[in-house]
Amino acid sequence: MIRSYLAFLALRAVARMLGRLLKVAALAAAVAAAAPVTLVAAYSAALAWLLGWPPRRLYGAALASLPMTATWLVAEALSRPGPPGVPAGPAWFRVADAPYHSWLAAWLLAASGHVGEAAVTIAPAAIPLGLAAGGLAWAYRIYSMETGAGGLSPSSPIVFDQRQWRRQVRTARARIAAPGSVPLTTPNGDVVTGATIRTVRHAATPAAAIPYARLRSHQVVIGTTGTGKTTLLLRLWAGFMATALSRYAAGAGRRPLLVVLDCKGGADSRRIADRTRRVLRGAGARATAIWPDEASLSLWDLPPGQLTTTLCDLVEHGTGSAAYYADVLEAIVSLAVGAPCGPPACSADFLTRLDAGWLTTAYSAGGHEDALATIRSASHLVADVALRFRTLWRRLGTGFDPPGGFADADVWYCILEGTAETAVAEAQARALVDMLASYVSGAGADTETLLAVDEFSAVSRRLPIWQLYERARSLGLAVQVSAQSWQGLAADEDERYRIAATADGGIWLLRTPHPDPVVALAGSRKYVDSTRRLLAAPLWADEGTSRVRHTPVVDPEIIRGLGVGQAAYVYRGGVTYVQVKRLVAAPPALAPPRPAGLAGADRAGQEATDGAGGPAAGGTAPSPAGHAGPLPDAGALLDEAFGKEPSGSGGETR
Amino acid sequence: MLFTGEMYGVQLDQLAVLLGASLPRARAVAARWRRLGYAQSARLGPGPAWTWLTRAGLTACGLRYAATPPALSRLAHIRAVTEVRFALEATSDYRRAGAFWSGERRLRARMGGRAGVREHLPDGEIHWPDGAPVPWAGECWAVEAELTRKTVARTAAIMRELLSRTGDYGCPAADVAVPGRPPRHARALYVCSAAARPTVTRAREALGPLGARIEIRDLPPSAAFGHATPARPGTTGTTGAAMTSEASGGIMASRAAGTARGGTALSAGLATAGGLGTGHGSWPPA
Repeated sequence: MIRSYLAFLALRAVARMLGRLLKVAALAAAVAAAAPVTLVAAYSAALAWLLGWPPRRLYGAALASLPMTATWLVAEALSRPGPPGVPAGPAWFRVADAPYHSWLAAWLLAASGHVGEAAVTIAPAAIPLGLAAGGLAWAYRIYSMETGAGGLSPSSPIVFDQRQWRRQVRTARARIAAPGSVPLTTPNGDVVTGATIRTVRHAATPAAAIPYARLRSHQVVIGTTGTGKTTLLLRLWAGFMATALSRYAAGAGRRPLLVVLDCKGGADSRRIADRTRRVLRGAGARATAIWPDEASLSLWDLPPGQLTTTLCDLVEHGTGSAAYYADVLEAIVSLAVGAPCGPPACSADFLTRLDAGWLTTAYSAGGHEDALATIRSASHLVADVALRFRTLWRRLGTGFDPPGGFADADVWYCILEGTAETAVAEAQARALVDMLASYVSGAGADTETLLAVDEFSAVSRRLPIWQLYERARSLGLAVQVSAQSWQGLAADEDERYRIAATADGGIWLLRTPHPDPVVALAGSRKYVDSTRRLLAAPLWADEGTSRVRHTPVVDPEIIRGLGVGQAAYVYRGGVTYVQVKRLVAAPPALAPPRPAGLAGADRAGQEATDGAGGPAAGGTAPSPAGHAGPLPDAGALLDEAFGKEPSGSGGETR
Repeated sequence: MLFTGEMYGVQLDQLAVLLGASLPRARAVAARWRRLGYAQSARLGPGPAWTWLTRAGLTACGLRYAATPPALSRLAHIRAVTEVRFALEATSDYRRAGAFWSGERRLRARMGGRAGVREHLPDGEIHWPDGAPVPWAGECWAVEAELTRKTVARTAAIMRELLSRTGDYGCPAADVAVPGRPPRHARALYVCSAAARPTVTRAREALGPLGARIEIRDLPPSAAFGHATPARPGTTGTTGAAMTSEASGGIMASRAAGTARGGTALSAGLATAGGLGTGHGSWPPA
């Protein structure tokens, strides 16, 4: 009995071994018989492994090669004759028969030493099949490694992932180094930021592009100094400008306006401003104004009510018992702004009005008894209010004096000295936001505005950033908040989460030591841990258990180890790791000798390009820069050429 | 021929005015150019036939433009621009100053294929040389012939672009609008059809103070597409007459008066006046 059982065991073992050998032999025979397909599959899978490609790329290549196969099949059906004396048969049969014939012919050619011709003969059939098979094999390999079922040792999946990351980075760097491979925008207007390194739950395309609509939503950018944050921001701004200008030219969109509030200040901000100007010029922005160094924005163009509020907010005033002085200040400012002769035209005019005598004279024309009563009761405080505003304007400088408005340039780069002069920068930030809000709700309603704020938390004491967010949302502005760290986003944790959670356009993460809040916001994905054994490619053993676990979509370790110019774009529960392509700015333009009598470079430019500051009335045209006076009248010439204009028709220069 | 090449193409009646000759004579000249392989002619739209230069003709003129017939969709516009140029070149100030015209085709060629949708090219530029005996010497004017109505916003945007440009066409992007530099176009001249004029006027008003540098005039009646100047048998040499007498009113005046004076040195006469010049006062006879 025992002997019989042992014999049975031995026979079963031999049968199993024979079965396995048979299986291996059959597989080897199939692989050898389909050698052309096998070779292509092996080559493509090895290439994908070496370059870190996703399987989808091989599938795409297989699809792209299908027209070749179709053409070949049609040509075969039309041209291949049947055996001598036998009719060729119907076309569909010849099409179905073509792969077999090619396979046969390839083997015959290879056997007779014509390997090249054999390869050409079988290529139309073997290439798409091989690419698809290679893609499947590569996908299976990735899956088995991700689930921990593959590899020689338990740590193989980790090593595999790290090695693949390095290869993907190398491929992405090679792509951005190739001239012309990463355009600024795609033909359908998407903004290309660089080359894709890796994607999770996002489509894996070689060039990482985001739709223009995302730039019209709120975005958050977090990255420490030296990680390529400015390069990424410049790329996004240039993409916004180029796409928006194209849409505007095509009549599909409104005119773009980019306003950057750089709240750090200092020499570094000025260097970035110059680079921004040159990069955006290449993207189509005709004029970039740098405030307050080269251009000014007139605060005095605000409507009187808004001007009063803004002026009061510029001056710090306390609460509690100090609220009395706040009310007095508001009353005096309101009287100065709302004087019967009209609102003040500049800071000097405003300061002149902060005088009890001036106010009394201005309101003494009759019908302003209430105002006169207020002036009498507050007269002893008017001088104090004047002193405060005189101090404020001395510190603010001439940046808020006319001429100048947001309509004068496509891009406004505003530098706020948030590090060196925090109090001044806070006042400036408050005023700039008020002015922008007034502009986009009035004259600039027909613009597509992107407000980019960098390190706004440094100046957000008087205007909390969430207020800026809400205000921008109500005005249709897109806000892009950038900071060097999660903590730099806003003053407290609640505000930070509020900002990050409402970033509809996505979050950009560059290298940062504390990515965990954003990682948590990005969400997780399901993974299956299984102890079931993989029997063959599609077959799993019944023994064992499986457990679903959640892993973060964004790997915080990857974020902490990102290199310079690498970013993770988090959007809707997915992430795309990008190697950002740096935009090369045009060289600085050599400015000609500055015309005498003009204050600043851009001020001169504004006068030159807008004609502002010249006499607009009286029948003479304002002179462009370089002309001493108004433009000479060319009416006689034009009358001679085109006939006299009927009076009042507006043919003359105004 | 150079004029024809610069303007994309001309209609036969315009060629007659240009040559100061009758229609049959202009037709004979066009036929001669065709025989030499320098030009082609065809009836592309209403009115007289169009003549444009072939590659050989452009090469003979030293023009490096793509040899294509005038686009059908732009025939009316091309005719209008040519008439505007005629009208301006016929003025006494233009001839006295030795001003010269730089057409859209030349500007586009200077862009070297980089003229994208974002960059608007004027239909022409008039350069007034420094030191010329006119008050606006040294200025460069942008000329626009407006036949159809655009939106006010679009027209205003084009006006603003023209008046704020500081760089030459074809310059690096960084020089297109450099704050602090004088603008390229001291003023822009809009010559409009009756339909387009209200829009252009409103766009100028929308510009504010900048609009003071916009001049608006009506297109001459001869600019209408399909309009053909009736040929007068035996008419010759009006331009030559214009050259001999500055007060005669030049091409347009002669055209209006229909004077039939002698003189055939058209090219030399225009060169003297700088009317069709390349900006250097010289004009090789075509």
